[in-house]
Amino acid sequence: MEKEHHNHGNCVIHTENLTKVYKGVVPVKAVNDVHLHIEKGEFTALVGPSGSGKTTLLNLIGGLDTPSSGKVWIHDQDITQLSKNKMIDFRLQNIGFVFQAYNLVPVLTAKENIEFVMLLQKVPQAQRDQRVHQLLGEVGLLEQINKKPSKLSGGQQQRVAVARALASKPQFVLADEPTANLDSKTAENLLDIMLKLNQDEGVTFIFSTHDQRVIDRARRVITLVDGAIASDERKEVVMEAL
Amino acid sequence: MLVQLAWKNIWRNKVRSGIVIASVALGLWAGSFIMAYAFGMIDQRLKDAIETEISHIQIHHSDYQEDNDPQFAISESPQLIQTLTDHSSVRAVAGRVLVFGMINSPNTSAGAKLIGIDPIVENRLTKLEELITEGEYLNPGDRNKIIIGEKLAKKLKVKLRSKVVLTFQDTNKDIVAGAFRIKGIYKSHNSGIEGLSIYTSGEDLSKLLGDGANYHEMALLVKDTEALEGFQSELHQMYPELTIESWKELSPELSLMIETMDQSLIIFLIIILVALSFGIINTMLMAVLERVREIGMLMAIGMNKPRLFKMIALETIFMVMIAAPVGLLLAYGTITYLGKYGLDLSSIYAEGYAQYGFKSIIYPNLAGEHYLRIMILVLITAVLSSIYPALTALRLDPVTAIRKI
Amino acid sequence: MMILKLAWRNLWRNRKRTFITSASVVFAVLLAIFLNSLKEGILQKMQENVVSFYSGAIQLHQDGYWDDQTINNTFEVSETLSKKMVEHENVTSVIPRLESFALTASEEKARGSLIISIDPSKERLITRIDQKIVAGEFINENDQAALITIGLANYLELDVKDTIVIIGQGYHGASAAGKYPIKGIIDFASPQLNKSMVYLPLKEGQWLFGATNRLSALVIQVNNINRSEETAAELDKLVENEYEVLDWSTLLPELDQIIEGERAENVIFLFVLYLLISFGIFGTILMMTIERKFEFGVLVAIGMKKLKLSSVVVLENIFVSLMGAFVGTLLSIPLVGYFNAYPIRVTGELKEAYENYGFDPVFYFSIEPKIFYSQTLVVLIIALVLSIYPMLKINRLDAVNAMRD
Repeated sequence: MEKEHHNHGNCVIHTENLTKVYKGVVPVKAVNDVHLHIEKGEFTALVGPSGSGKTTLLNLIGGLDTPSSGKVWIHDQDITQLSKNKMIDFRLQNIGFVFQAYNLVPVLTAKENIEFVMLLQKVPQAQRDQRVHQLLGEVGLLEQINKKPSKLSGGQQQRVAVARALASKPQFVLADEPTANLDSKTAENLLDIMLKLNQDEGVTFIFSTHDQRVIDRARRVITLVDGAIASDERKEVVMEAL
Repeated sequence: MLVQLAWKNIWRNKVRSGIVIASVALGLWAGSFIMAYAFGMIDQRLKDAIETEISHIQIHHSDYQEDNDPQFAISESPQLIQTLTDHSSVRAVAGRVLVFGMINSPNTSAGAKLIGIDPIVENRLTKLEELITEGEYLNPGDRNKIIIGEKLAKKLKVKLRSKVVLTFQDTNKDIVAGAFRIKGIYKSHNSGIEGLSIYTSGEDLSKLLGDGANYHEMALLVKDTEALEGFQSELHQMYPELTIESWKELSPELSLMIETMDQSLIIFLIIILVALSFGIINTMLMAVLERVREIGMLMAIGMNKPRLFKMIALETIFMVMIAAPVGLLLAYGTITYLGKYGLDLSSIYAEGYAQYGFKSIIYPNLAGEHYLRIMILVLITAVLSSIYPALTALRLDPVTAIRKI
Repeated sequence: MMILKLAWRNLWRNRKRTFITSASVVFAVLLAIFLNSLKEGILQKMQENVVSFYSGAIQLHQDGYWDDQTINNTFEVSETLSKKMVEHENVTSVIPRLESFALTASEEKARGSLIISIDPSKERLITRIDQKIVAGEFINENDQAALITIGLANYLELDVKDTIVIIGQGYHGASAAGKYPIKGIIDFASPQLNKSMVYLPLKEGQWLFGATNRLSALVIQVNNINRSEETAAELDKLVENEYEVLDWSTLLPELDQIIEGERAENVIFLFVLYLLISFGIFGTILMMTIERKFEFGVLVAIGMKKLKLSSVVVLENIFVSLMGAFVGTLLSIPLVGYFNAYPIRVTGELKEAYENYGFDPVFYFSIEPKIFYSQTLVVLIIALVLSIYPMLKINRLDAVNAMRD
């Protein structure tokens, strides 16, 4: 990616008139004319009732879905112009994903899952090993390094997923309901790790959630109602000790 | 990395992988077995025809077969027989005195082909003694004894030890007749022969024909069938005045049968491969559909289409690589076992066999190169069959796939 | 009723699974029918070729003619007799023939030949012997001329317009001698058939052998050669005891023997195909059972009796198999129909071998209805037997374990 053309300064994500209509008997505007601007280092929560378009918006930003109209820029790249296959490579280099579940390849160990994206990026062996250890250290799972997902708890699996999302050194990480399947203690724990990565390393996170405790930890909270941005607040968050 | 991932993936759903592996192994087994069976069948028929009936090569006076006139005997037969017997390529050779005539029983008469043989030499060539179902085979020195086919005996309403009269034209065109006693009754897998041919001592017949000790027909088996054509042309050069024919010329039906078998075998192999590929497509398609979410996730985190395709194709290839030795070993085992103990068709299809009582045991056999050929065919089929499921995976839309999460 | 409804709805709930399972049955039916149609087609064509050539499907003779084929065992032409034959629904036409052996000669040479007196216009329409003419022309009803086979022509050194002499025994010991100009020469491609045959117009032949108005055989052509045997038996009942009606398996036992042998050998091919098919279907059923473990667990947990659940699953399988069998049979009709209309052309040595016999070098596909329903039935039975597996699985199901995954 040609990072020398920073038209928007520190801007990582920029959308204009972003709209997604699901065709049907009654067409549904899942995302309705959204203008969104996200800067490097932000820690943003997308909130709203179910069906408000959180997941669709994340999918559009992540290039998993194509908008009905409007544009999405990641830095200076209009990703709506990319072919599907180009988009996959773009995601590999620029975007990290954490899903609600099924984040990990079941047959690979924690280490291998994290290594996987770097292998796709053709990162040399030594760097891979070093980064796997660093990331697993950051999410506190060094002891679980050789365990397969089925041997890990739900919270541990999501932490590996976060480490995996960071392995490719993405511009930002998209997380769709990352805590939905976790109990509240584990959920807070995961959020703390994400927040720490945000503070210490400046990783940009955008996550959807409807869990109040998670919302409390966000620095910016964007509320969606019927696919449109209803409110956009910024606040200071005090980080709890890990 | 894709290699490891694919390898690990196949052990995830052991039942599913087991089905694919077993299908491919079964396909290999079926292909090899059917081929071995067909070859066994051809061998059996060739053996039946060559080793009990026509032999590899027959030699006649150049005018004999046009006319079947006993005056066209092979001159200096004893010397030729001796030369052939001593020849390094020859396994067995026998001379025959032939004449077409009538056989008369008290009840009725029928046309017959009288074959004068040396019982010991003939048995070495055609194992005639094994065909005897009643009575005994001829001994050297038997006077005026014959063995006749069951079919002919029935037609003439004669039994063992019945007396029959044989009439025919001698070499001077005079009608001669001789009384003979039935010493044995034989049953041939060829009912045409069974209804026509009568065996007796060559000396007896020669005397009646008045033609010295010359034969009308010499039949021989070679040691090495591969060298048959070369040997045949060698004989041609040595005896240009004689008609020297191999079994292919003597029995065009046999080569027709073999060629038919060859081509229908190809069609059957295609059918097997189609059945195999359908099984693989079916199971691999299920494997893809079952992993929609995982594939969606892989696409989301940056696994592009060529890699995804490669992963699924690799999974198929690994399973085929496991299946190949299993299938081949299974085939080898079955073929070797049945090749030794034989496959008795009469137990499967009694109806046809009871009617004609022909040989029904088939010994499958397959040369190493054919195992290899089948394996390559099956491998290609398996790999081609993995394309469609892999393409289906590529067509998956990550959003739809993930929505299921 | 409840079970039926549940089974039916289950099918439509998971259409993809239903589709894949019934597709495996469709495919099995298609392959089984295809293979059988080919195998039967080859045999049937061989049978038709040989039968129409040598004997016709059925022959009517004077009683005892077949065992003693002399001109004395002939019968008088009778319009009512022919009519009776043609009235049978399987009979298409009747051709009169008078056959007898006689010596045929040129000025220099002589050879025993089969003299066949024919009705030229009928043969032209039905057996199309006229198409085998390689020199000269076909004979007409009122000609006083002969057709001879090419082998005989070569041996006697005769050509078109030369004269052939026929000397033999006529009806009731009368002498039969005649001289005929050769109007045409026939090449049957088979050396055996070409060796010694002479065709005369029927009237001329009857006059020659002093057998005015007499025939040795009515050759009866049929629609369906597979029903020759029963048709012959039915015709035999229609006529008086002074006649015998024989079908081709009696007339050509060697051919029947070959065909029965081939059928027996085909049993193995079919067995292997069924094995592959069974495995394909079993794989699908196995996957289906595993996939639905959770669902089965829930149903048992909420109080559905295992027997009832099994019945639902078996019913589903019956529906799916029936659907697959029906669609498969339906699809096989155009497939086999196409190959029936445009048979596979064989190549290489087989092509030559077929042509040597004067056959079309093609593999035919049979469209006997029997093939369709018998194969569909076999596959249906296989599918139903295999559905025992989910029954057993359900019987051993532990609800808690099943729902754990």
